[in-house]
Amino acid sequence: MKVCERADRLRDAGVEALFVVHDEPAKVRAQLLAGIEPSFPVLVDEDRQAYDVWGLRRARRREIWLDPQVWRSYAALLRSGERIRGAGKDALQLGGDFVVDPSGVVVFSRPQQRDDRPAVGHLERAARDAGA
Amino acid sequence: MPGHPAPRIGDPAPPLRLPALTGEVVDLADLRGRPVVVSFLRHAG
Repeated sequence: MKVCERADRLRDAGVEALFVVHDEPAKVRAQLLAGIEPSFPVLVDEDRQAYDVWGLRRARRREIWLDPQVWRSYAALLRSGERIRGAGKDALQLGGDFVVDPSGVVVFSRPQQRDDRPAVGHLERAARDAGA
Repeated sequence: MPGHPAPRIGDPAPPLRLPALTGEVVDLADLRGRPVVVSFLRHAG
């Protein structure tokens, strides 16, 4: 799911969403945001200190390029009309998704292991439960 | 390997204070009082 769709859906659920990137701002604007002005905060962590503090590692090359699921995902993107863009500064840096409750406690933690982002519905549910 | 383990459920959220693309600095601690999804992306594409 595109970042914007994800953010809109979370906002509609009454949840704040923060997105963190490690690429240069110009590349983020040109690729991820593709000329749109985001209505959600996109935070820039070029030296990846926040990635490190949140325990997000770099994958080994074989984890990415020898994973059939990665190739299936790229094939699905191409079939849907998407084009494969440059991977940016570091294609091996993994991401992750977390939900923090109103008191500042982590209630959902999913550091990425490969091509395995959780569906936005999981994040919505965790955030709704946290806000209840 | 990163120097820190990922936070587990029940842990206090690690600090997160970074500049946004807009130039303003955003601090997760300022968003207390509502649930927050923090999504770290792999890359800009």
